[in-house]
Amino acid sequence: MKRLPSVLLLIFFFVFIMMAPQAGAEPKTDGKPDGGALNYGEYGRPTTLDPITSNDMISMRITELIFNGLVGINEKQEIVPELAERWEMSEDGKFYTFYLRQDVTWHPKEEEEPVPFTAEDVIFTYNIMMHPKTITSMKVRYEFIESVIKMDDFTVQFTLKRPILNALAKFSFKVIPQHGPANQEFLSREDPFAQKPIGTGPYMLKNITADREVILVANENYFKGRPHINKFAARPFADQNIMSQALLFNAIDMIVLVNHRDIPQIQGDKRYVLQPYNALSYSFFGYNMRNPLLADKRVRKAFTYAVNRQEMLDSFFQGQGTIISGPFAPGSWAYNLDVQPLPFDPQKAIELLNEAGFVKGDDGIMVKDGQKLSLTLKVPIAKESEAVKRVVLAFKNYLNKIGVDIEGEFKEWLSWKEDVFLNHEFDIIFASWVFDDSADISSLFHSAEIGSWKNNFGAYSNPEIDSLIVESKLTLDHEKRRTINRKLHAIIADESPYTFLWTLTNYAAFNKKLRRVAIHPYKFFSFADDWFIPTSEQR
Amino acid sequence: MKLSSVRPIALLISKELVIAAFLLLGVSFVIFIILFLSPGDPFSTMLKGQMLSGAAKAGAREALGISQAWYSQYLSWLANMLHGDFGTSTRTGLPVLGEVIRVGINTLYLTVASMLLTLLLAVPIAIFSARRGMTFFNWTSTIFTYVVSALPIFWLGYIVIYISMHQFGFFPLAFGSSSQKFDWLNFMLPVFVLGIGNGTISEVVRYLREEMERVFSEDYIRTAHAKGASIWKHSFKEGFLIPITETIATKIPFILGGAVVVEQVFNWPGMGRMAWQAAQDRDYPLIMGITLLAAIIVRLGSLIQRVVHIMVNPRASQE
Repeated sequence: MKRLPSVLLLIFFFVFIMMAPQAGAEPKTDGKPDGGALNYGEYGRPTTLDPITSNDMISMRITELIFNGLVGINEKQEIVPELAERWEMSEDGKFYTFYLRQDVTWHPKEEEEPVPFTAEDVIFTYNIMMHPKTITSMKVRYEFIESVIKMDDFTVQFTLKRPILNALAKFSFKVIPQHGPANQEFLSREDPFAQKPIGTGPYMLKNITADREVILVANENYFKGRPHINKFAARPFADQNIMSQALLFNAIDMIVLVNHRDIPQIQGDKRYVLQPYNALSYSFFGYNMRNPLLADKRVRKAFTYAVNRQEMLDSFFQGQGTIISGPFAPGSWAYNLDVQPLPFDPQKAIELLNEAGFVKGDDGIMVKDGQKLSLTLKVPIAKESEAVKRVVLAFKNYLNKIGVDIEGEFKEWLSWKEDVFLNHEFDIIFASWVFDDSADISSLFHSAEIGSWKNNFGAYSNPEIDSLIVESKLTLDHEKRRTINRKLHAIIADESPYTFLWTLTNYAAFNKKLRRVAIHPYKFFSFADDWFIPTSEQR
Repeated sequence: MKLSSVRPIALLISKELVIAAFLLLGVSFVIFIILFLSPGDPFSTMLKGQMLSGAAKAGAREALGISQAWYSQYLSWLANMLHGDFGTSTRTGLPVLGEVIRVGINTLYLTVASMLLTLLLAVPIAIFSARRGMTFFNWTSTIFTYVVSALPIFWLGYIVIYISMHQFGFFPLAFGSSSQKFDWLNFMLPVFVLGIGNGTISEVVRYLREEMERVFSEDYIRTAHAKGASIWKHSFKEGFLIPITETIATKIPFILGGAVVVEQVFNWPGMGRMAWQAAQDRDYPLIMGITLLAAIIVRLGSLIQRVVHIMVNPRASQE
């Protein structure tokens, strides 16, 4: 009984010690609670977890959580400092100097002290990326950089081959640590770093479970402040229906991209929030201008008039999208809002065909010079999509009504690619392009891009378009570029090398317990360190 | 095991192993040729996001050290394989051998368990109808098994998940959440679907019943019955063990095939799901590894069946 007061004091002392804040970076000062876990579902699995060898969307979302770039992009699409505190651009636009933060450390390995981030890591990343033996899709994007040198431990200077408009945005590439990869010269998928990445970002890899779930835990020392949510788990699903059901049964808390068919069901459920984000992509029917029947612009325009795009969008995608009139994604700065999509007018379509010299034959199919307007439509099957099949069927019906016979053919993804990009054996295709933020359509419509495995698969060739594209790439004035792009948009809309369809609104669905969820249009998790879960709803 | 059967078994096994080696070689070669001739190649997966120009492909080829001619590609794979190096997946960079064994074990759990379930359901029906003749119960249960065998396996999978979710409020995430090591209930559902949906039940019932009826009418069984001995004990080996092992051995490839669908639906990390993904990615090393493992499993099945046959009847090896 005599010892009781000292024991109590000791207990009190220990409790006090444990309640003291953890050592490390400052917690976020926004007053929101820490804790909780977020399980999110992906349709498919990641390939590798490093930002250089991985090239699929799922891996990119995970690397967005693990790594940082020199600069970042905020919700308003402005460039903000990330690993670099500030930067300078030379007068002639050929030298970019970045002053790096000095308080950043790499994710620590077990039982080891965190290694500080320095200029060496930036140089290392660039060298690895550009090494000829590194197999990556990134090389093409950074070929405009001539070299990089280290000015001091926390300063790097990039030399460009020529000044580029908006080059700063390109320096958002993720930086990897020099002490990370086993091979110091080039990075291959076999390097253990590809499966056990080390970054500077808000989350670090903890482990990958037996069923390929990727578990990430909060980085206590994150330089922007410890992220709120303790744990992120990426769970792969082989089936989209099951994934949607998993959300509704709280087996997962979030789906990155909701299957359009399941949107009504989730919309009606009050426990979940459906958040739209616009991906920079659009779907289209592409024409092969090598076929003399399709070489005539009036024929292509007639097809566009014949198709009721709004009806298709409403019926198959619940109207969740925007009809587009030209070659840019509607969310992009280059899109010309003054150019309206052609209206649904089958009568006009028939008139145009007649103008082009086609007459309706006895079987209802348009004929010209003895040649029937009978074409093949080739569609790739990547993952199962009922909506695609419906669109194809609808297209067939619309065109049948104006006297065109379409034969649809579904092909496996890679063999379809060979048909379209290598052998050019097709008349029409149905596909989608996905863009990065540069709104660069030069590889799609420039005549130099006609050939094996080049993007101008339809062999569209127009000297006016060619010169406009070249001018747009060379100019350094943003306004001028915008004007040129608007002109491009107008001309291409008129020429109709594609029948432009729509950009679908992507929806992410998540449990209401997640708060302050801002989603980046294609990187998705850029702002995930701000998301939080109220204490009462943490699991 | 009879002493007289030891020698034939040893001979059989050694002969089988030699044949199996050649067979596997042939399988790997055929698969390789098919991969080589089919459109698409692994570079598309690795270089996705940029159009596959000839230059990019050539660069990747050089970086990976892949020779141009198809036969040298095959021979180098073969040489590596004989040293135990099955290469690495072009998609994830992980070593093929480790990955295939990991998923192979998962699929094996699924396959073996579902086979046991199939037998558990089919055998009683067969025995009952063999012994008692075609009573009403036997008729209905036989028809039931035929109907069930005809159900498409993916449909069955969806229905089972739907029922388990909406009737029992239980979401079957195979392997449970990351914290659980082996969630038995989650395991039961895919086993149930595969065991019933793979179409083997009706085969087992029909074949087993036929064989048992045939054996029951054999003279030596009649003699045993007349003597008062148990006919079950005497008919077991020929009427039961042999047909069962034969059916299983022939049905293994189909069960493996059914496992592909079940793994997709239930998100089971097994060989079938990996094979499908690898085929899409044209992940050549992984495809070769998986098909080799599948061929080994099938061969092993038929080997075990032959061994059992000889154990039961050593004279069979001389037929």
